[in-house]
Amino acid sequence: MKEVFKRIFFPKREKLWWMNILVPITSIILALIVGAIFIKSTGRSPVLAYKLLFGSSGLFPGPYWKNHFAEMLLASSMFISTGLAFAVAAKGGLFSIGAEGQFLVGGIVAAYFGYAKPFANLPTAVHLTIIFIAVMIAGGLWGAIAGWLKAKRGIHEVITTIMLNWIAIYLIEDWLVIGPMKANVSTGVSGTPYISETAKLPKILPGTRLNISIIIIVVVAYLVWFLLYRTTLGFEIRAMGHTLIYGMEAPKAAGVPVEKRVVQTMFISGAIAALGGAFIILGILFQFPPVFEGGYGFDGIAVSLIGQNEPLGVFLAGMLIGGLRTGATSVQLAHIPKTFPSIIEGLIVAFIALQELVRYLLTKFLVHKKNVISGQNPGGSDKNSINVKLSDGGAAK
Amino acid sequence: MKALELKNITKQFPRVLANDNISFSVEKGEIFSIVGENGAGKSTLMKIVYGLYTPTSGEIYVFGKKVEMKSPQDAIKLKIGMVHQEFMLIPRFTVTENIVLGDEPRKGPIFDFKRAVNEIKELSEKYGLKVDPREKVANLPVGIQQRVEILKILRRGAEILIFDEPTAVLTPEETEDLFKTLRALKESGKTILFISHKLKEVMEISDRIAVLRRGKLQGIVKKEDTNERELARMMVGRDVVLEIPRVEVKRGPAILSVRDLAVKDHRGILKLKGVSFDVHAGEVVGIAGVEGNGQAELVNALIGFTRPVKGTITLNGQEMKMITPYNVRNKGMAYIPEDRKRRGLVLPFKIRENIIMGQHTLYPFSKNGILNDKAIDDFSTKKLDEFDIRPRDIYVRAGNLSGGNQQKVIVAREMSMKHNFLLASQPTRGLDIGAMEFVYNHIIEEKKKGVAILLISLELSEVMGLSDRILVLYEGKIVGERTPDQTTEEELGMMMLGITEKERSLQ
Repeated sequence: MKEVFKRIFFPKREKLWWMNILVPITSIILALIVGAIFIKSTGRSPVLAYKLLFGSSGLFPGPYWKNHFAEMLLASSMFISTGLAFAVAAKGGLFSIGAEGQFLVGGIVAAYFGYAKPFANLPTAVHLTIIFIAVMIAGGLWGAIAGWLKAKRGIHEVITTIMLNWIAIYLIEDWLVIGPMKANVSTGVSGTPYISETAKLPKILPGTRLNISIIIIVVVAYLVWFLLYRTTLGFEIRAMGHTLIYGMEAPKAAGVPVEKRVVQTMFISGAIAALGGAFIILGILFQFPPVFEGGYGFDGIAVSLIGQNEPLGVFLAGMLIGGLRTGATSVQLAHIPKTFPSIIEGLIVAFIALQELVRYLLTKFLVHKKNVISGQNPGGSDKNSINVKLSDGGAAK
Repeated sequence: MKALELKNITKQFPRVLANDNISFSVEKGEIFSIVGENGAGKSTLMKIVYGLYTPTSGEIYVFGKKVEMKSPQDAIKLKIGMVHQEFMLIPRFTVTENIVLGDEPRKGPIFDFKRAVNEIKELSEKYGLKVDPREKVANLPVGIQQRVEILKILRRGAEILIFDEPTAVLTPEETEDLFKTLRALKESGKTILFISHKLKEVMEISDRIAVLRRGKLQGIVKKEDTNERELARMMVGRDVVLEIPRVEVKRGPAILSVRDLAVKDHRGILKLKGVSFDVHAGEVVGIAGVEGNGQAELVNALIGFTRPVKGTITLNGQEMKMITPYNVRNKGMAYIPEDRKRRGLVLPFKIRENIIMGQHTLYPFSKNGILNDKAIDDFSTKKLDEFDIRPRDIYVRAGNLSGGNQQKVIVAREMSMKHNFLLASQPTRGLDIGAMEFVYNHIIEEKKKGVAILLISLELSEVMGLSDRILVLYEGKIVGERTPDQTTEEELGMMMLGITEKERSLQ
C-alpha cells in the first residue's frame, strides 16, 4: 500500500511534477475569481454566494454536512465514471465523446437486468454482479463499435462516438423506454418498471442515499491507474497516445497491434462510462424514467480535462463537480439562479483549456524566481515545459 | 575587427553541463565553423548567441560592445540572424509574404504587396540569391526554401549569420549552391557561423574551425593547418576509424526471401515494381538508390505497415501470409528505422520505457501482463552502460536525448531482441562520426553472429563499406547487383541515376 501511495503521489524524478497539480488548482481559483466578478457585477455578494455554494456542497464540513457529503459522493461517482472513461481513451490518443451514449446504454441494461423476472429473486450480491457484468459488456461493446470503425475503416472516433450517442439516445428514450420495455399500464408507472429490491445498490451511510457506488468507483479508479501504469496493456495504450501525431508509428513498428488496442481501449472506456449509467439507475432512480436528464457523459469530458486525464486527478475533479452540483440549489438563497454553478464549471474548463498559458505564467513566476535565488539558470525550465507539453500531447488535442 | 566574442560562456542545465567555459572570437567577414558530436553543446551555444538561452555565466560582445540578450528580438536588434535547421516558413504564403512577415511595407493600413515584391527582388539581386518572389513556399524545393530563410534574416539587417546544420536537409547540388551563397555573403562582409558535424563540408567552407566535445572547447584551428582525421580525433577524443573494416563471414542459408514484390505508396502510386532478392545468414545486403525510388515502400512492406500488391515475403523459411509488425517481430526481425523520432521512439517516454518497448510483454519485464519495474530498471541500467548512452539516467525522456544517443537506445533495444534478421534503414541518418562508427560496429558484430542484414542507405560509402552484395534500386526495380570489390562509387552512382551500361558505352 505504501508503495502504491508513493508511486501515485511522488512520480519518479519527474521534474516539476508539482506543476501538474498546481496548474489545475490555479485554474480553479482563477475561475472562482472570475465567477465572483460576475456575481459582483449583478450587485449580489460573491462571498455569500460562495459560502452557500461550498457550505452545502459537501466538500467542506458544515451544517447538515452528512447529507450534503452523501449527495456529493453520489453525484461524484457518476462524474468520475464518465471522466475516467474519457481519460482512458485520451491516454490512448482517442478523443472519445461517446460517454453519453455508453452511459445511457449502461443505464438501460441495468434497468432491464434489474427488473427482468429470471433474475428478480437472486441474492443481492449475485444479482448485482450479473447486472454489472452485463452493463460493462454492453457499454464496452457500444464503445468498441467506434473503436472498430476507427481501426478497420479509419473513421475518426469523434464522428462515430457522436453518432453513436444519438443512436443510443433515440434507441433508448424514443423506443425501448416507451415501447418494449414500458411498464405495465395497470401499475401506473411511466418509463420502465422499477427494479427489484435485490438490484438496488446497498446503502452505506444510514440516513442518507449514499450507496456503494462510490466504493465501486474508488476501486475502478485505482484499477484504471493500475491498468495505465502497471500493465503491458497500459504501457501500449500510453505509447499510442504519445505518438498520436506520428500516426502511432513507433509502437506499431515495435510490434504493438495498434488496431486491436484501439478497439480494446474503446471497450474499456465504454465499460467504465456504462458503470455510471448503472449507478444512477440502481442507486438513485430505480427505473429508467420516461424523461432522462442526461449530460453526465459530456460533463465527464470536463471532469477529465480538469483532472489532467490522470485517474487521481479525475477522481478529485469528479468530486469537485459533484460538490458544485450538490451545492447548486442553495445559492438561490443569495438570490442567484441555481444554474450559476454551471458558469463556474464552464469557467474552470475555460481556464483549464488555457492551461498552457497558466503553466507558462506559473513557470515564469515560480521556477525562474526560485532559480535566480538559488543561482541556477532560468533557461533550464524551457526544456521541462516542453516535456510536460509532450506528456499531455495526446490527451486534450 | 571582432564581430562576435564569447568570454567564458557556461551553460548549466539541471543535469547537464552543456557549455563549459567557452571563449572564442569571430572576425568580421569570416566563416567560422563549430563542429562537434551530437550533444556536444553546439546548438546550445548558438542558442545562447541568438538569445534563446541565457548563459549561466560568461559575457558576450557583439562588435566590441558587451551585450545581454534576453530573447531573439534582442539578437535581431544586434544584427544577429539564425537559419534554423527546421525552417520557420508558412507554406501557403508566397516567398515575399514570408520574408516580410512581421515587418511589412504598408500603404496606409494596407499591406503593400507590390512594394514588398520589388524590395525582395532588389534584395535577392544584391546578394545573388535567386528566388521568385511570387511563388508559394510550398512549391519550392528545400534548397530554395533555405534561401528564403536567408533572405528573411538579411532583410532584417543581419551582419552575423548563424547556420545550424544547414546541409542536413539538402541534396549535394543544393549544398554546393549554399556554399556559393555563403562565399558571396562573406565577400559582402557578413560574418558567418556554420555549425555542422559533417567534416568534409566544414573543411570545404570554413576559414577557422572550433571543435567542441562534451561542452568543452577542444581547440580552434585554421583550415589550412588541419585535416579531417585530426578534426575527427578532436571531436571524438580518440582516433576514429572512418574506413569500415571488412569482415568475412561464411554465408548461411537464406533468412529472408523476397519474390516479385510490388508495393504502392500511401497515395496509391506503384513505387516498388516487382523486386526479388535473398538475404542470407551472415551476409549484409545493401540497397543503394536515390531517395524516393521505392526504399520506403520496401521497408513498409517488410515490417508490415503496408500490404504488398503482389509478391511474397519469406522469413525464416516461412511465407508470411499476414504481414503485420507484430508477426514479423515474432518471426525474428529487428528494425532500425530511418526516422528515429517518428518510428523508433516514443519521445515523451523515458529511456527505460523505450528500451523495452516491443519486448515489454516478455518475461522478465512483465508477467501475466503486469510490468516488473525492477527487472526493467536493471535491464535498462545495464544497457545504458553497455551501449554508452548518455546521460546515464534511465528516467530521462527519450525526447531530451541527442540524436546519437536516441539512436543508441534504438540499437540497444533492437539488438537485445531475439532476432536473426536485421532491417537497417538509413541507420546513420543525421548522426555524427562517433555515433556512425558505433552503428557500423554493431552491424558488423551482428554479421559475425550470423544475422542476416538488409541495409538500406542513401550514403554510397556506407553501402560500399558494409555490404557483401549491393543491389541498386531505381524507379522501383533492381537495376543491378554488384559486390563492393567489383564496382566503384562512380558506377553505382550512374546506376542509381538509371544510366545503364549500354548508354554509358554510347556516351
